[in-house]
Amino acid sequence: MEYVISFILAIISYMVIDNVILARYFGICSFIGVGNKIKSSIGMGLAVFFVTMMAALVCWPLYNFILVPAGMEYMETIVFILVIASLVQMVGFFIKKKSMSLYKTLGIYLPLITTNCAVLGVAESNMAFDFGRSMANALGTSLGFVLVIFIFACIRVKLEGSNLPKAFKGVPIALIVAGLMAIVFMGLGGMINLGTWGLI
Amino acid sequence: MSQTGYIIIAISIVVILVALFTISFVAYVKTPAPAGCEAGKGPNCENCEIASCRFYASAEERAAKKRQEETMAGKE
Amino acid sequence: MDQKPSKLKVFLDPLCKANPLFVMILGTCPALAVTTSLESAIGMGLLFTFVVFCSNLIISLLRKVIPEEVRTPCYIVVIATFVTVVKLLSSTFLPELYSSLGVFVSLLVVNCIVLGRAEAFASQNTVVDSMLDGLGNGLGYTWAIAAIALVREVLGTGTLTFGKVFTFIPKFTLPILSGYSGSDFSMAIPLFKSSAGGFLVLGIALAIIAAVNNEKERKAKEKARAEKAAAAAAAKGGNN
Repeated sequence: MEYVISFILAIISYMVIDNVILARYFGICSFIGVGNKIKSSIGMGLAVFFVTMMAALVCWPLYNFILVPAGMEYMETIVFILVIASLVQMVGFFIKKKSMSLYKTLGIYLPLITTNCAVLGVAESNMAFDFGRSMANALGTSLGFVLVIFIFACIRVKLEGSNLPKAFKGVPIALIVAGLMAIVFMGLGGMINLGTWGLI
Repeated sequence: MSQTGYIIIAISIVVILVALFTISFVAYVKTPAPAGCEAGKGPNCENCEIASCRFYASAEERAAKKRQEETMAGKE
Repeated sequence: MDQKPSKLKVFLDPLCKANPLFVMILGTCPALAVTTSLESAIGMGLLFTFVVFCSNLIISLLRKVIPEEVRTPCYIVVIATFVTVVKLLSSTFLPELYSSLGVFVSLLVVNCIVLGRAEAFASQNTVVDSMLDGLGNGLGYTWAIAAIALVREVLGTGTLTFGKVFTFIPKFTLPILSGYSGSDFSMAIPLFKSSAGGFLVLGIALAIIAAVNNEKERKAKEKARAEKAAAAAAAKGGNN
């Protein structure tokens, strides 16, 4: 029971307190680039969710059962990027072949995700954790990505019609909105103390 | 195991992964996209500014396009 | 066809006119993550310069060998190799730098600039040009993140500390907004050390650059209009 509670708390903590974009700086490129279409932000978020979960599921056993026993921890970066890139291409291949509607919603974003820092960043930071904690990390991180990218697209829709100074149009105002969002999320900081649950 | 054994394992892991990646990459690129959602043409591509996308025009090209649009608007 | 840009232009363009961070807005993740201290930003920039220089060099050497269909996988393998080299070198010789950058050394693999330069420049240009382009981009990125880190460290902590990451220089602290001996005076704003401050600083920096560019454009337009008017007046005068 305690393990389940700590698992859920870890997910919430990674999702809102230690948010992937606003506190850990992963995936800012796609966060800013995806623009003001709510639909495309959801597609991007779902694609990142899917690939992050899969990469975490594959990379953790690969590292702990193959690379560590053979004493080849130094190869983690090259192995992980190749695994993630092949996973992305394979999934994209199947989606392209089998399902048109799925390809329309998230298939076009899949090739972009190879170069999304969030996926590789989660896989790399999972190496210090046990399996349960690494799954909580992957789940919480990707849910946090979906949440923030969706809220951000909604805000940018409203920004479209607003009267901004010319210099702030586009990326600068997006970054400032992200900064304000980061301040909001900072306020949640004291909500969960992971130390009391033995998670740190 | 000897040092050579580890080196052989390391090289073979990399070779296997590279082969896997290359095969899946070629398979992905060779498969035609379903009609109506080719990359770079889809409805989602208009507002997307993800610069790492292969179909995303470079910054100079975008600036040139913008300038062209502005001069067109100025002529009108 | 369009003529080849000169060697000097290839090297100098990424330093200011086509700066990867400030103009192209690429590589924002490390630009926000490692800029809480000036030293680690400079260290990150130097590691980045090494990676982009070496990958540009190797990819331009191999540009006639790599088949067109599988170029992206090849580039990723080359870049990942150099990132591993950088990781091993920095964890051995500069362990403080390595631990202060953390996972962002590995994330150089997915840095948009490295892959972008490989695809856009090194795959089409000669070896010397590609080396200069890599060096220019690396140094341009370095000064950009160093500028952001300077603002963030001074405003966030009130001091500039050296010697903490590069252990080979003696450690010393420059008091700027706080830390004068014998007083508790401090004007530091801790917000700038947090992630929110990073977003705000980068956003304002980009807005300033956009404002300068807009002003330049406006002046150029006005000048062109005035010249046109003068030419028209001269033509009229000639006709009369």
